[in-house]
Amino acid sequence: MSNTRKKQWRWPLSPETVRSVLSSHSILGLAFAAVIYLVCVTGTVAVFAPDLERWEVPATPVARSLSDAAAARAIAEGAQHAPADTALYLALPTPAKEGASLVAFSPAFERKWAVAEDGSLSDLEAGWTDFLIHLHVNLHLPRSWGEFIVGLTGVALLSSLVSGILAHPRVLRDAFHLRLGGSRRLQEADLHNRLGIWALPFHFTLALTGALLGLSTIIVAVLALLLYPEGGMKKVYELFLDAPPPVDTRAVPMPDIAALIAQARARAPQAAPQNVMVERAGRADMRVTVLSGRAKLLVQQDETRFDAAGKVVADEHPEDFVPGTRVLGGIGQVHFGWYGGLAVRLAYGLLGIALCVVTSSGVTIWLARRRDRGRPAPQWERIWAAVCWGQPVVLCLTALLARFAPEASLPAAWLAFTVLSILASALAKTVPGPRLARAWRWALTALLAILAFIHGAAALPQGGAVLIDAVLLAGSAGLLASLLRGRTRTAA
Amino acid sequence: MIWPASLLLLAGGALGAFLLRRSWLRRDGSALGMIAGGWVVLLGLLLAAAFLVGPVKGLALGLVMEGIGALAVVWLGRVRRKAARLREMEAAPEPLDEPGRLWRGVLRTLLAGPLGMTAAMAVAFCVTVYLPGDPRTRIVIGGLLMPVLWGLAMTWTLADRRILRATAVLVATSVVGFGLAHLGASA
Repeated sequence: MSNTRKKQWRWPLSPETVRSVLSSHSILGLAFAAVIYLVCVTGTVAVFAPDLERWEVPATPVARSLSDAAAARAIAEGAQHAPADTALYLALPTPAKEGASLVAFSPAFERKWAVAEDGSLSDLEAGWTDFLIHLHVNLHLPRSWGEFIVGLTGVALLSSLVSGILAHPRVLRDAFHLRLGGSRRLQEADLHNRLGIWALPFHFTLALTGALLGLSTIIVAVLALLLYPEGGMKKVYELFLDAPPPVDTRAVPMPDIAALIAQARARAPQAAPQNVMVERAGRADMRVTVLSGRAKLLVQQDETRFDAAGKVVADEHPEDFVPGTRVLGGIGQVHFGWYGGLAVRLAYGLLGIALCVVTSSGVTIWLARRRDRGRPAPQWERIWAAVCWGQPVVLCLTALLARFAPEASLPAAWLAFTVLSILASALAKTVPGPRLARAWRWALTALLAILAFIHGAAALPQGGAVLIDAVLLAGSAGLLASLLRGRTRTAA
Repeated sequence: MIWPASLLLLAGGALGAFLLRRSWLRRDGSALGMIAGGWVVLLGLLLAAAFLVGPVKGLALGLVMEGIGALAVVWLGRVRRKAARLREMEAAPEPLDEPGRLWRGVLRTLLAGPLGMTAAMAVAFCVTVYLPGDPRTRIVIGGLLMPVLWGLAMTWTLADRRILRATAVLVATSVVGFGLAHLGASA
């Protein structure tokens, strides 16, 4: 029967080319496996950053709505607690993001608060979430270098997706095959290919947007050299960002922020105000920007800017934005899945796990192939077990550390745990890779449950959200079930 | 709006994949109606999401939710087998084994890495310089093209056994691309 299909349609690449492309897929996948896996794991968890912040600080108020007066009060209170040249960024509750928050930032200062419905502020310093996002974005390396490496990882992932498709002539014949429990290699290959194919649009989008975000600095630098040799990178950034008003450090009273939000709402009746940004609060060169979003648009495209006296200096709506600006604004939203609320975050979480499995199974297939050919690589089997299952364990340990020793340096702890776990696994020559992987899985099962109970016990009396605790417990229960099932099968 | 749309797209993804799987089970391509029906459900719901939820938001949501729905169908159709050796007919193509030589490894790394990046930038920035329209849009198009082109260059240089040919093409692309982009930018 399969012969009929062969006659109807043939793979456009010759078998030898397929094998060459597969070899390229292998080389690239193996060279970048650990970094791709780390970026995928941290990215999958980072999707839940808004929930994780509330998980870390359970007493955080979650405003369902915020009146214009309460928004003005929050900004006034924030301005009192931040240096004069700091920008204040107020995020109002939206259908995609529960709760309101205020961030004060400048190159030398950064602080975040949760905003209650009456506009009062409470600290929202979520150290572990911050650590996780930076690990995903720049691996805690110097910013430009870290982002470049993560961008390069995105390119490697893109290339692996392309070569993976080109090297898969049985894409139709195996479209729905998922054969578990037989040959290890076949099981892993089925998982790798099915998850890779059916989630391809998502994985491609994620890799492309991630690569662009990571490589943006180098792209802008080279473009600036080419297009504006005299103006430099500043000139390129000026195309996308509005130039600030001329410096004037005289102190002036704050304008009536509530009235400005109402005015912005009146100017864009189809949109709802979602963010208020106050730059250089309390100075004569102050600028207040109200950004409003429409239900069907991915990013805010209604923007009203006021000067220190509350006079409108710019008013832009979707028709005023060129496609390039709209696309640029949407890249981060699409990458992190922060555009559609919990439903989208959960979906991104699931497909993120799928991408982690694709990466991990790629290496497992290579290891199994070596074993089948009589050239096993036990040391690499152990090291991969330490990366694949060890990294989630290390992340759990850093979360516990953040809970019990908030002053500890999380990047240093992560690095120490990672190096130790990999070294210990490489040196444990008497323990076979699969057994080590099981040990890591047991550790992860226990740590997920411990984290959930510790945080849940603290959050419940304060009326905090327990969504993350429920997810952690579910993960722990799932792992436990799979470990016990595996044990039963082995015994049978 | 997002929750009902998500659930609908999830169910639609599962339905589309279910129809495709039914035709796939027959193995002879005879169930053309099911193939067409499966794709109509998958693509139709994507279009509906783009129209009702938003052009980009709906499309992004559709691709994510339909992917999960389809994967659910794959998971439900899994088969569990007793441990066995891999049979010949089940074996996937094997990667090409090449004798490892250090200079080839170093050259390939250079080709897939820095040289591939330079060539991708040269082509992407040529597009940025010569494409008509607003400079911001041209910059974003060039920026989006660059990782894709670099990824393709990586795939090609690592797969092509004629390593000198790949080197020549990438060097020429870089020189010509940056030269043309520089000329266009200075004009």
